[in-house]
Amino acid sequence: LLVSGVSTGMLYALIALSMTVAYRATTVVNFGHGDMVAAGAYAVFVFGLGFGLPFLAALALAVALLFAAGFMTQRLLLQPIAAGPHLSLAMMALAIGYTLRGALRLEWGNETINPQRPYPQDAYMLGNVVVTTDDVVICGVVLLLLVVLFLLLQATPAGKLIQATFQSQRGAALVGINVPLFHAVMWGGGTALGAFGGVMLSMIAPLTPDLGQWTLVQGFAAMTLGGFGSLGGAVAGGILLGIIQKLLGFYLNTVFIEITGYLVPIIVLMLRPQGLFGRRTAIRV
Amino acid sequence: MMAVASPATRARHAFWLLPIVLLPVPWLLNPYQQYVLNTALLYVPVGIGFNLVVGNLGLLAFSNVAYFGLGAYASGVLMAQFGVPWWITLLPAALIGGAAGAVASIPALRGVRLFYLAIMTLAFGELMRWTYIRWEALTGGSMGMAVPTPSLLGWTLDTDLRRYYVFLALAVAIVAVTDRLLRSRFGRAFLAIKDNEIAAASMGIPTDRYIVLAFAWGGAIVGVGGAMFAISVGHLTPVSFDLTELVRQFAIIMIGGLGSLTGAIIGAVIVIIAPQVFISFPGFDELVFGLLIVLVILFLPRGLASMLARLHPVFVERYYRG
Repeated sequence: LLVSGVSTGMLYALIALSMTVAYRATTVVNFGHGDMVAAGAYAVFVFGLGFGLPFLAALALAVALLFAAGFMTQRLLLQPIAAGPHLSLAMMALAIGYTLRGALRLEWGNETINPQRPYPQDAYMLGNVVVTTDDVVICGVVLLLLVVLFLLLQATPAGKLIQATFQSQRGAALVGINVPLFHAVMWGGGTALGAFGGVMLSMIAPLTPDLGQWTLVQGFAAMTLGGFGSLGGAVAGGILLGIIQKLLGFYLNTVFIEITGYLVPIIVLMLRPQGLFGRRTAIRV
Repeated sequence: MMAVASPATRARHAFWLLPIVLLPVPWLLNPYQQYVLNTALLYVPVGIGFNLVVGNLGLLAFSNVAYFGLGAYASGVLMAQFGVPWWITLLPAALIGGAAGAVASIPALRGVRLFYLAIMTLAFGELMRWTYIRWEALTGGSMGMAVPTPSLLGWTLDTDLRRYYVFLALAVAIVAVTDRLLRSRFGRAFLAIKDNEIAAASMGIPTDRYIVLAFAWGGAIVGVGGAMFAISVGHLTPVSFDLTELVRQFAIIMIGGLGSLTGAIIGAVIVIIAPQVFISFPGFDELVFGLLIVLVILFLPRGLASMLARLHPVFVERYYRG
């Protein structure tokens, strides 16, 4: 039980993390992120089945494609209105997601697709705990991505640059970092990470054009649990959400599996309007 | 010398021409077109209620679909299970919509703003949709429920033509009352809060009270829109109140014009009637409206209403500002 909670949680963590990357860089929450995640899963499906590419090649292509999509979205659609009201930014992201969903539905209708797993589906007993290959693969891939991300941030010049810009955009601009380019790259990176999440999600859940709606809400729940804008918090929040969901579902009522994602942001934000681990920020007048 | 009416006064007079022009329109339409026009009419209060909070007050509340669904289900359930006549259910529909609006304003009063507020209200809306699915005894679950044929004071509203005149009257009444509200000190307070909430509060405007009022009034008229929706479609399913519906309602106010009454009307007409052209391709309407919102935000941030206002001063709304 805890194992499946952790593995679902890992998935939420990845999605929340991918949203946080874009949010930290631009302070714009991507309301279209869920649909980008879904688009990533569809892209792998198309490259894999439509073009007959091996799974890993399809995955690489899809991630590259989503990176480009995120990059272009930020560059062409969000940067021109970045100085405008938050409402326009939120609506822009929402509208982009809506467009994507429409495009997916136009191509595939409302039918669901169950993509082939690129690995055998199996379950093992470890003591008295059931572990499925889904759990193993999800945990493994997410952990791998986290390690790569951590190394990228901590041990490379690019990571130093990213951290510096997270801390102070103006300071970064003053020392010659191309901040607009940085924004676009971070959006690209966020959507690319999201694409990974989408692909793994499509392993355990059927693929429909509406996948993005569900993903978005779960991602938000994990983000609020972890405190907005904190990368580590997003991961912790995601895993926590997965565990809470499974525990509530098991000990109280299975309906909690469906509604934890809705209840968590409401309760957390009512108690602490700035998120569980978020810092209280003063509002400038 | 004759007194010259100000553009604002003339605009109000011109507004009354619109329903008169619309009176004989059904003679030109077949029953299906009539149904589509009814739908556009019922989305007028929905758009106006949404616009009040998002456009006039400037708060990112995404819970409009919740008021819409609650109004629709309140009306539908009262009619189907308790035999209440439709016109009486308008009141509970408005009350429950308004109450939901007041509830949704609580986080805003606690200082939750921007994306946090958006996420909370979004979760609230989704929680309501889940409630319709799960409360099967009342709502019929995801299979939905049939709404009985409505009547109005002994007059059966069994055709779209009959419903048209009722909808027209309701839409006109809601536009007129909201117009009065926006031109009163309430509208000015909304504008002050939108421009600078802290400055408004420090000038002695009870901002909390106005925020609750805007949410509640918006929720109430959206609830009425929901009750109209219930009898117009005749069958309620939770799918009608999902995030796709939210974006449709957003499309109405974004394309029409944020914070503008005229905008909400134009938006409702365009967003509801235009998809009829490509109804046979599922998803195409989402694609088109998504792109349309993107284009409007980039090139016409105040929506089509701002274009009209540039065309003729009659369309300039005083309480509407960028």
